[in-house]
Amino acid sequence: MPVVSQDLVQANLSIDQQEVKRRLLSGTTLLSDTPDHVLEVVGVLESYGEVLDAYSKNLIYQAEEQFLNPFPIFKYLDGDLNPAKIWRHLNHDRINFEYAEYCQKAMFWHGTGGMDAYLDSPEFSENCRRIIAAKRSRDPLLALLNPLFPGFLPELIRSAATTHALGQFWRVMSDLFLDLAAAERDGRVSSIPQVVDFIKDGLVAAAANPIRYSVQISGETFWVLPPEAGLTFLGDVAVPYVEAVFLRGMPFLGTVSFNAQAQQISPDQAKFTYGALYADPLPSMGAGIPPSLLMQDMYRHLPEKLHQWYLERTRGEGDVRVKICMSFQKSMFCVTNAAINGTMPHPLESSDPEARAANEAYAEAWAQRLGIARTDCLGAERPPRVS
Amino acid sequence: MLLSSLLIVPFLGTLALLLWPDRPSPARLRLITIVILVVQLALSVVAALRFDPSLPGLQLQELHRWLPGIGLDYALGIDGLSLPLVLINGALTLVSAVITRDISKRPRLYFAMLLLISGAVNGAFLADNLLLFFLFYELELIPLWLLISVWGGVNRAYAATKFLIFTAVSGMLILGAFLGLALLTGSVDFSLTPVLSDRLAMGGQLWLLAAILIGFGIKIPLVPLHNWLPDAHTQASTPVSVLLAGVLLKLGTYGLLRFGLQLFPEAWAKLAPALAIWAAISVLYGSLAAIAQTDMKRMVAYSSVGHMGYVLLAAAADTPVSLLGAVFQMVSHGLISALLFLLVGIVYRKTGTRDLEVLRGLLNPERGLPLTGSLMIVAVMASAGLPGMAGFISEFLVFRGSISAFPVATLLSMVGSGLTAVYFLLLVNRAFFGRLAITPPSGDPGSDARLDVQLSTVAPRETIPALALAAGIVFIGLVPSSLGNLSEVASTALANLTAGVS
Amino acid sequence: MSDALPLPLQLIWLVPLYGFSGMLLSLPWASGWIKRNGPRPAAYLNLLVTLLGVVHGSLAIQEVVALGPQQLEFGWFQAADLNLRIGFDLSLTNLAALELVTTMSLVTQVFALGYLDKEWSLARFYALVGFFEGAMSGVVLSSNLFMSYFLLEMLTLSTYLLVGFWYAQPLVVTAARDAFLTKRVGDVLLLMGVVAVSAWAGSMEFNDLYAWAATVHEQQLLTPLAATLLGLGLIAGPMGKCAQFPMHLWLDEAMEGPNPASILRNSVVVTCGAIVLLKLMPVVAAVSPVATDVLLAVGTISAIGGGLVAIAQVDLKRAFSYSTTSYLGLVFIAIALQKPGIALLLLFAHGLARALQFMSVGSIIATTNCQDLTELGGLGTRMPATALAFLVGSAGLVGLVPLGGFWCFGLMVDNLAGIAPLFAVVFLITNLLAAANVTRVYRSLFLGAATPKTKRAPEVNWLMALPMVSLSVIVLLVPLIMQRIDPVPGIASFSLPVAAAVIGSGLVGVLLGALTPLDSFWSRSRLPTVRLVQDLLAYDFYTPEIYRRTVVNLVASLARFTRWFDITVIKGAVDGIGRLSLATADGLKLTVSGQLQSYVLTVILAVVLLIGSLQVLRGVG
Repeated sequence: MPVVSQDLVQANLSIDQQEVKRRLLSGTTLLSDTPDHVLEVVGVLESYGEVLDAYSKNLIYQAEEQFLNPFPIFKYLDGDLNPAKIWRHLNHDRINFEYAEYCQKAMFWHGTGGMDAYLDSPEFSENCRRIIAAKRSRDPLLALLNPLFPGFLPELIRSAATTHALGQFWRVMSDLFLDLAAAERDGRVSSIPQVVDFIKDGLVAAAANPIRYSVQISGETFWVLPPEAGLTFLGDVAVPYVEAVFLRGMPFLGTVSFNAQAQQISPDQAKFTYGALYADPLPSMGAGIPPSLLMQDMYRHLPEKLHQWYLERTRGEGDVRVKICMSFQKSMFCVTNAAINGTMPHPLESSDPEARAANEAYAEAWAQRLGIARTDCLGAERPPRVS
Repeated sequence: MLLSSLLIVPFLGTLALLLWPDRPSPARLRLITIVILVVQLALSVVAALRFDPSLPGLQLQELHRWLPGIGLDYALGIDGLSLPLVLINGALTLVSAVITRDISKRPRLYFAMLLLISGAVNGAFLADNLLLFFLFYELELIPLWLLISVWGGVNRAYAATKFLIFTAVSGMLILGAFLGLALLTGSVDFSLTPVLSDRLAMGGQLWLLAAILIGFGIKIPLVPLHNWLPDAHTQASTPVSVLLAGVLLKLGTYGLLRFGLQLFPEAWAKLAPALAIWAAISVLYGSLAAIAQTDMKRMVAYSSVGHMGYVLLAAAADTPVSLLGAVFQMVSHGLISALLFLLVGIVYRKTGTRDLEVLRGLLNPERGLPLTGSLMIVAVMASAGLPGMAGFISEFLVFRGSISAFPVATLLSMVGSGLTAVYFLLLVNRAFFGRLAITPPSGDPGSDARLDVQLSTVAPRETIPALALAAGIVFIGLVPSSLGNLSEVASTALANLTAGVS
Repeated sequence: MSDALPLPLQLIWLVPLYGFSGMLLSLPWASGWIKRNGPRPAAYLNLLVTLLGVVHGSLAIQEVVALGPQQLEFGWFQAADLNLRIGFDLSLTNLAALELVTTMSLVTQVFALGYLDKEWSLARFYALVGFFEGAMSGVVLSSNLFMSYFLLEMLTLSTYLLVGFWYAQPLVVTAARDAFLTKRVGDVLLLMGVVAVSAWAGSMEFNDLYAWAATVHEQQLLTPLAATLLGLGLIAGPMGKCAQFPMHLWLDEAMEGPNPASILRNSVVVTCGAIVLLKLMPVVAAVSPVATDVLLAVGTISAIGGGLVAIAQVDLKRAFSYSTTSYLGLVFIAIALQKPGIALLLLFAHGLARALQFMSVGSIIATTNCQDLTELGGLGTRMPATALAFLVGSAGLVGLVPLGGFWCFGLMVDNLAGIAPLFAVVFLITNLLAAANVTRVYRSLFLGAATPKTKRAPEVNWLMALPMVSLSVIVLLVPLIMQRIDPVPGIASFSLPVAAAVIGSGLVGVLLGALTPLDSFWSRSRLPTVRLVQDLLAYDFYTPEIYRRTVVNLVASLARFTRWFDITVIKGAVDGIGRLSLATADGLKLTVSGQLQSYVLTVILAVVLLIGSLQVLRGVG
């Protein structure tokens, strides 16, 4: 039976801007509701939840225990230096915390939202001054560098603040995703709208959680992000995170040329579309594709049921990490969907024309950005083809 | 008896397959064939071990009078020229059988023909009698024609017929030359050992040599006699292409050395400058034509035309180093082109196309053909003469041996070697780099990036033969003395033979 | 003889093998065979074998200091009059170059561990770097031309694979190809030279070649044309490797590859090319004065042209890669004028400082996701290690402060002032251009206000910072090392006016670089003439375009013509003849009917015909 190229290529239908807006306003989920989608989204979010648990712990450990350490050689070991763990670390039999740092860098670099504004405030400078004063009395290297490079330590402290905040954010998300999996097992969640609602409720519940960060220097506590800053979960971390990682992202060295003369990368970061909702899953695990690390981590924590489901499709184990990436993209649409629903200015059922207009404008703004995202992953799955 | 066994085993195998009672499954037939070919390869290795490389001339000779009336004797022998080719034949036929899968049409005939070809090729390499050589040379023709015309692509009838006509002409010219030799010398002794031609006038020699050159030039093939080859390759199935490029073309170059150079040394020396130019033209023509191809298999086929030209250059230069280079080039081209065809075959089987304007990004680690792609890079680099692999040392010996005799032709051939890099990089960069795709680009990279490509997996067993060939290529590239020791005395003797004449 | 050698020297052949073994050790991860665990062990193993190489090399240096230079040879392949050998020339210079290669490889590998921390194909990268390192170690130690060529070609291959590392990136697809082909042109020309010299001189040992070359002219062994062509062939390879005009394009293209590979390419790979030229120079000089003149011309054009083009680049990596071309041009001039000692010093100082510069470039790219100079700025106060590396690296290159570059420029200008003052001026102009370039880049990167892309720019992680700081210290110590390598007459043996001239050219350059206006955010000058010159330089004198219109076009046209000829003339003729004998073709179309019996019949018929004709013939004879 000759192989015909066309048969091996699928192009799923994308939905356009209008359709995105319609679904958002009508309360329909972006991802179509099928049993396969529920399995994929819940399963992949469960493994993501487990990975985020490790990421979160490590980021918080790094921000608190490895604060301004010039040689954080064991920063991924969470302070646990037993030989077996070091061996596993050397053998790369571990979570790829580099990806957590990558997300932190993306969030920090794009710098949007309330926390970023706080990092430039005089209050924050004052916090830094106090911390540096405490640090430099004990650390001659920092004492030497700080006057020569006055921006050096504050920038590292800003970076540590983002690290800690992201750790706190992922703490919530990890618990939420693991709860979601439990709810699905209990039968409380069995459809995509329920998944989206579950996540939305979780986000709304955590929305006002305070984001705080302090470090210990020789027994003394210093606030980096003090309670007075009034930073909260949803507005100051979750939204900037979605902006930086889901939407904007950073160009991958493996798919975009950094050559200045080629002008492939926009000078305006707000125009970036390299985020999770725009990414092409097919090159996963290739060279220069950082999310490969996350796919690998999730691959190592895949729920059995989902793993079986993958084994029945396309190349089975052979391309499992591309399939994880595809499912992950679907689940990220659900999370985005939940976040949009949760931040909708007014209830969708509202009959007040002003409220409706405000909702419409909000949905329109999102539709503009999502209209060019990988909405082709949202349709129903085709029947599996086994090779 | 050892050399005869190299014929008897495959021939008996052919018979056994054809006469096998009841209807064995294709897998069973394949297994039987593989066993027979393993035995044949083992016997070739035994021959290599029994062979004393320090002695010139034929060894392990066997002689039985057959039809003395017409000068046809069953005379076999092996020397440093034919031994590597017998080994390559054993190895590559085995590879062909191993990579043959899902033969649903007439499996019995297919495998029988494979064995028949292998035996006939052994016979041609081992024959110590012109007529015996010719018999085997013709004997290999029909099964190959069948292999193309029964199991080939859509245009197989055209390609097979063309192949048959070209090769038939080739056979006629060679037979004509052999008979002419007998006629002119008035002898019906067709044994190879005595140099027959020195009794002939130069005019007669030149005519006979011309017939030999054109006859074998078709088989090699040399430009402009190459037209059958790209069609034959594109229509033949992968195992047949492996056999055709790896083994059967070598009959042409072997014949050129054995029956051109060795039989007509004086005439050869006269024609050598023209032959060198012919070689350079063939090399450049093959390379340039390859650049313009978009079908991967056609590209590899034209590269064969180019690379076989080096052998003619080496033969024309006729120095110990160049002739050793010719042997090296035959062996390494056998291995490299077999590997290239095998890999192109995998790509074709998985994607359904070989079109370089369609294939992209096959190195993709999860959805593409990463191992095939990596081996393809090894293969094209070997073909482009990168050191550490068989192609380099072969080309180096050819060029080094030829440059004093024919500097211009050698330099032009080296340009051809540079062009190899051009077309093979086009192949690798187009088909294997970039974002995975197997359909024509739509012009909008954004929508191309949304295509989900689902190729079936390349099983490890599909790449094992390729890995073995790659290992062989690297081995010869790093330890060339392994092959050099087998052939050096023979090639030096061949060069001295003509040196003594001129 | 070799039995008496101390172990580190006897086993010197292991040094290239360390690198190659790194490649083999990486394979289980690079091939995807190990799937559940990540690829880092491959990196650690490579670091380990490279460290072995560094230690082995330094032990060998100690032995050679004690025993004097040594030679070590092994047979590889012999046939008729051809004798190909593996030979190691263990002179102090070669071993110093080896240490440069292995140390830079080690430092770069540590740096890469930080730069490529989120790279899943890490094992493949390290495998390629191991291959790279092995080939380079062999090149610098090689005592014969064949082995040098063999390994140079391997370098070409690994350059291709390293540039092609991010194979899915659209510009990499063409860049890797063009990089390989440009280098390959040089390699094929070099191969022509190697093959010719092997046939003519009978040996490929450098020492034998020197002896042979000395007799070429008096015994008239070669025609003038052959001698000139040989000379040109031999210099073509190093020209390609050292990215000299007109074969410099690959270095620009190679910048699409990962930064750690760029570090190696701009420092040690070009150095390897120049070392091969150094070894070949006695042959070239004796055989062909024309080739020597070509070297001088190429070196001069590369030095000044490269310097000018570098200044017009907006791309951070390319601004320095063209500067590499420029400095290697100076090395070419030094080699062509038979100043091997100074050439080596310049290579040494350049290699280290350039590597450091490229490390700081890598750290900026990693932090800002940007290599467009017009979009960067204000990094100075926040990235101490990076800024330090940039300053020290640049200072080590430019003749202004008493670091490596200054002493090299001083020595060279002093040496040339008497014999070839024009080339002394070339050195000074190049220094001026280089100083202007680093100054303007420094301003774009580190001074001014932060831009959106540099607003949040923390210093890079310790895996990148530590190699930068360590190498900065080494670059600061380079003058001392140079003094030890070349104690007589000492690196300061030049006159005060020369020193003043070097400093003066450097100062003028810095001033120019400090005063020229900087473009920002993809903007351009409004003056048409300025734009014309800018474009001319920014697009590298339109060299890619010239290539496209000449060489590429020629090959493509020839290929198209051949294809047309093949289809129309040859295939046409064959098909025409075929149509004439249509009947035959029809008769042979048995395939369609698919009857085995007819095939067997055909075979038997053919054999019968043959035997019958022979019987007839016999009757005649």
